[in-house]
Amino acid sequence: SGELYCSLPNPRNVHFESINMKNILHWSAPEGTGDGVLYKVKYAVYGVGKWIRKPECRNINRTWCDLSSETSDYEEQYYASVKAFLNGTCSDWMETTRFNPLTDTKIDPPMVSVSSTDRSISIILTAPEKWKRSPEEESMSLLQVYPGLQYNVSVFNKKTKKRWSFSISNNTLVVPWLEPGTAYCVSAQIHVTTPLLDSGFSKEHCITILKDK
Amino acid sequence: GACSVSMSMTEIRAGFTAIKANIQSRDPIRTLSILSHPCSLHKVKSSDRCCITHQLFTFYVDKVFKHCRTEDSFVNRKISSIANSFLSVRRKLEQCREKNKCVCGEESTEKFKQILANYEGLNVTSAAMKSLGELDILLDWMEKS
Repeated sequence: SGELYCSLPNPRNVHFESINMKNILHWSAPEGTGDGVLYKVKYAVYGVGKWIRKPECRNINRTWCDLSSETSDYEEQYYASVKAFLNGTCSDWMETTRFNPLTDTKIDPPMVSVSSTDRSISIILTAPEKWKRSPEEESMSLLQVYPGLQYNVSVFNKKTKKRWSFSISNNTLVVPWLEPGTAYCVSAQIHVTTPLLDSGFSKEHCITILKDK
Repeated sequence: GACSVSMSMTEIRAGFTAIKANIQSRDPIRTLSILSHPCSLHKVKSSDRCCITHQLFTFYVDKVFKHCRTEDSFVNRKISSIANSFLSVRRKLEQCREKNKCVCGEESTEKFKQILANYEGLNVTSAAMKSLGELDILLDWMEKS
């Protein structure tokens, strides 16, 4: 295809970084090259016979490229590849390993909302949404993507320093028989059994149970 | 009634995840797939799920695992652990078939023919290694509903 003789060192560590299926291709500059290196990117659906160029990532000098749109069908798997150019010479195409959005994404912690009534705490959990192209696009909760999604909830008594842990499948939890005048802190994590995926824990939400009148 | 088979997907998934990068790196062919193209498992009707699952477990037991020996003993141990899990599930699916609970429709027969054609389009070792590298495609489909 009229390509130049490629003697430039290759881009390194070409890989996908994915959070809630927002899939960004990352790489490191070729060893020993300073400024001025430009890159182009292509991707392929595994099992389909052609590589597709990504126009928005042609002749770019940054070392990442957002391929979320191109890899949004999580029933498919993908490869991506990067080539470097500098002063009229180029590198080889350097590929990722096979990328499976369903198993290779990371999941954000759930949103946690906490309220208290009488001597109990009500906790409502919301799983993050799958990445979408635009705000107008219909939202899809990761709960729909991972039917076996569960929540691990931690409730911490700030007076006694005692911690309870719960594992629930639905998104609400009521913790009864709590001590008046005591502060409780709640945080939660998403757990998917298979494929095995765990989010981090959300930041703590603390609430104090009102004293009896 | 429906055929219901208990199996430890978590165990199979963990075993495959441990060797996925190793196995997939042995498959240089990006442009061909055994399970997902030209037709995708995700398009299988629910009435055909049991039959396709049985056919695919038989396919992996009879045609894939035995051709996937590597020079890496860790990888070989994981492969045989997955193979044993598949053997026990296949046996349970067989019992369902004997009780007529796992009927094969025309679509599943056609789809499985396509999978076999994809497999036979490559030499045995390449086809077996590619099939093993696509185990997550099978697991993803099975876990979907």
